[in-house]
Amino acid sequence: MPGPESELLCDWLRHTAAAAPDAPAIVEENRVTSFCELFEQAAWLAVRFVEHGIRKQDRIALVLPKTTEAVVSVFASLLAGAIYVPIHPQWPKERIETTLADSGARLVIEGENFPPRITDRQTGTSIPWQPVPAALAGVDSLPRADAGDPAFILFTSGSTGQPKGVVLSHRAVSAFVKWSAREFQVCSSDRIACPSPLSFDLSTFDIFNMALCGATCVLVPGHVMWMPRFLVRFVREARITCWYSVPSILAGMLQEGRLAEHEYPGLRVILFAGEVFPGPNVAQLQAAVPQAVCANLYGPTETNVVTWCRVPRDFDGSRPLPIGHPCPYATVTVEASSGQLLVGGDSLMSGYWNRPEETQRAFVSLEGKPYYRTGDRVSLAPDGHYLFLGRLDRQVKRRGFRIELGEVEAALVRQEGILEAAAVAAEDGKMGTAITAFVRARSAGAVTFVEAKAHCARTLPLYMLPDRIVFLDTIPKGSRGKIDYVALGRIAEGLNHGDQG
Amino acid sequence: MEIKAEVRQFIAENVLLGVHQTTIEDATPLITGGLIDSIGMIGFVAFLESRFAVEFMPREIDVHSLDTVERIEELIRKKLADRDAGVAAGDGQQIR
Repeated sequence: MPGPESELLCDWLRHTAAAAPDAPAIVEENRVTSFCELFEQAAWLAVRFVEHGIRKQDRIALVLPKTTEAVVSVFASLLAGAIYVPIHPQWPKERIETTLADSGARLVIEGENFPPRITDRQTGTSIPWQPVPAALAGVDSLPRADAGDPAFILFTSGSTGQPKGVVLSHRAVSAFVKWSAREFQVCSSDRIACPSPLSFDLSTFDIFNMALCGATCVLVPGHVMWMPRFLVRFVREARITCWYSVPSILAGMLQEGRLAEHEYPGLRVILFAGEVFPGPNVAQLQAAVPQAVCANLYGPTETNVVTWCRVPRDFDGSRPLPIGHPCPYATVTVEASSGQLLVGGDSLMSGYWNRPEETQRAFVSLEGKPYYRTGDRVSLAPDGHYLFLGRLDRQVKRRGFRIELGEVEAALVRQEGILEAAAVAAEDGKMGTAITAFVRARSAGAVTFVEAKAHCARTLPLYMLPDRIVFLDTIPKGSRGKIDYVALGRIAEGLNHGDQG
Repeated sequence: MEIKAEVRQFIAENVLLGVHQTTIEDATPLITGGLIDSIGMIGFVAFLESRFAVEFMPREIDVHSLDTVERIEELIRKKLADRDAGVAAGDGQQIR
């Protein structure tokens, strides 16, 4: 039986379930699922998928919160040789439908409550969820994916107004997971927590290190997410040893959650990724949990993590933390003309789902090898660390999520009464990145701010909604008729700094 | 204490960045209507707790109980009444 040397993510679970069947794989509040139970449930479900007619590379959409059942569904899909498509259940209905259609998912697994419903989107028939599988037969004849085959598709903001699917292979995910296991010495006594949903690439760290290393994946209860002091209490009481989240959540834990007032003797690794974590916050975090290795991981969804930087012990926060140096599986270089970071190596995406032209544009060939154009401007410091300088295009990061401003504009102009929209992002001392949309309406009072925002909320996830909408009679344009984003950016910055206009 | 007015003012100043107060009606959906997202909720919940001197327990608040100004007022009034009557909240544990 293939073990940890395999590059197939589901092989790891099978191996660990045989080696340590009774060890805890998933903890969800008071409920513990052992490796044996997790594997048997997933394998039983995989056999049902195959019986139902699911073939290798078919898509299975998981419209589920991050629960035990969601993790079972991940491994069931992979064991069947299929591709899972995680979709956040709180996305607007329209966005969920578009994503289901775009991915061509045959099965959809959904439902906030137990048990989830499994439905065939073509025939409307369903597969029952069996909490305790009976006899396990047929596992050995399940189809096996190749390491280069896609394991899942993550849908992310697209500049043309439609989300686009980033296709990641078993091999690409394996490169990151194996490196992280080695670098941070993940082992069977670890208890890993990652509050990110499955639709976010941070979730590859907890669920796949669980399978690879026999560690326990401790799911973060949804009801504590709004109250950082309970999130902090969760870290303490659930004896978390490895934490991985976006900086916004850690910032909430430091401030409202008063993280520094307690001790976390078991907490040995704190990783963050997805957006810039201001230097002073990084220094506070390291001081609050002095024994923990804190590290900034960098990489777009298309490449997963490709560079990283351990927070130096004496870091005082007076300068930004670098994005660091390359992971061993990544080759990075800087495009001389633009300062853009180019990334090659094992963790690269296979491409965008069903978008051959965008896939082609995303890569550049260097010495015969594909490199992904990150769109991030960087510089190389004398000590070999890369520093993040900004974006080349109109993509912004907010709360760790990627937002194409073009998608925000597209949502606004779909509204009756809005003729034209231009969105800009600017730093706001209080909230991080704030999005300001400038809108030209059909007539004064044709649309209110609340109406426009509610309209956007029908198609955009909450983190993409504009914070402020400014109604203008004309949108400033340059001599060639192009929207003057620089001028708009200055107005937005003025608004962010107290001038309420 | 005018709970609704204070809540409106906070949202207008901190969440909507200065939008005129009257655009938030008693029944305007704040969360399901897309006005506040999950990270925004962290600051909003912290405001409610400190301004009205109440402490929520994890299962006490959700998308439903905090979605409109009128439901928020209802929740705060209930918390204040419980506090004055000396009722222990939620699972009984107060943490700092």
